[in-house]
Amino acid sequence: MMDQHEDPKFEQWLKGAAKSYHSPLPTPREEIWKRIEGARRNKRVIELRPWLRWAVAAAAVLVLGIGIGRWSANLASSRATASTAAAGRRIPNEIDSLASVAYQIAATQYLSRTEAFLTSFRADANRSASTARLARQARDLLTTTQLMLDSPAADNPRLRSLLEDLELVLMQISQLNPVQDGHDRDLINQGMNQSNVLPKLRSAIPAGPVPVRTEGAL
Amino acid sequence: MDESTLIARVRAGDSAAERALYDAHVDRVYRLAFRLAGDDALAQDFTQETFIRAFDRLGSFRGDAAFSTWLHTITTTVVLNGLRKVKRFRQREADIDDAHDIGVAQRHAEPDLKVRLKQAIDALPEGYRTVFLLHDVEGYTHEEIGAALGVETGTSKAQLSRARAKLRVALSDFAGEWIA
Repeated sequence: MMDQHEDPKFEQWLKGAAKSYHSPLPTPREEIWKRIEGARRNKRVIELRPWLRWAVAAAAVLVLGIGIGRWSANLASSRATASTAAAGRRIPNEIDSLASVAYQIAATQYLSRTEAFLTSFRADANRSASTARLARQARDLLTTTQLMLDSPAADNPRLRSLLEDLELVLMQISQLNPVQDGHDRDLINQGMNQSNVLPKLRSAIPAGPVPVRTEGAL
Repeated sequence: MDESTLIARVRAGDSAAERALYDAHVDRVYRLAFRLAGDDALAQDFTQETFIRAFDRLGSFRGDAAFSTWLHTITTTVVLNGLRKVKRFRQREADIDDAHDIGVAQRHAEPDLKVRLKQAIDALPEGYRTVFLLHDVEGYTHEEIGAALGVETGTSKAQLSRARAKLRVALSDFAGEWIA
């Protein structure tokens, strides 16, 4: 069993020795402040949170509506003949709306996954994550990004701009050269900082329970 | 200008006051983020996210506790959530690695005390590690830690005690260092 008696000598020594653990660098005040200002400016424009909340509420109402509609149709099947044509016109619209909500949730998950990837990429800039693996993951995300650019999501100019920035970054990572790896990564990181990609991306990801935001993404 | 006046001005939309509030607290927030994350890029990300959340939610700050306590609660939440996300992502990467890579990575020479200490702290359970770093390294009180992590003061004390006990066992090879 672990000995948990206090040992003042050890504790005093430990406090001193542990100061070297993750010893902080000087605070890059101006750099962080610029990023905060940039992110807050973007956040005021790209604000999907209320939109997603309404979309999910609308989806619930639509599902309920379809359910009630089907139940009513079965109940009054003998009287349904005359209204079949009208119902046939209504249901495709409802299905379109549901597809749109499903698409929006998928988009949120895609953005969360991309954010996790780019955050990890930045944190791994000087570490051992293999270039080949990073490039493969970037290619997977790039494919999704390009599909999204061709989808109705790109109708939103702000989201389109974000997707185009992401496409560029992911394309650069997907073409990382193992020989000049360090230099290439520095350039990509500089580009990410200049275009404020990560703050924009984080602003576009709605807050909410983790399972809703990232299920299946991480 | 005292802090409550500064906060009132930030709430009123004064951008100079926002900057002043940021300047007053950014060093401690960044320091805490770096201490927990051990990486400059992540620490910058977490500091940025902390202040964005703080400015967005300043309306809900009622002044029951010190502003710094409220801010450090946001910092620890942002950092711990962020680290979990990065850890999951790296774990998934590690799972993809082949067995050969893992075998090579484990063949290291016997590390020195500094390296062993780092490994021992990294190996602590998340709760123990956080409390240990906040208390023994950053000098937070158990009351401040309890407020930041949303736990009882007694829990914080118990976790610190267990963290120290685990570290003492992990570093027992170096017992001469502290006995001397």
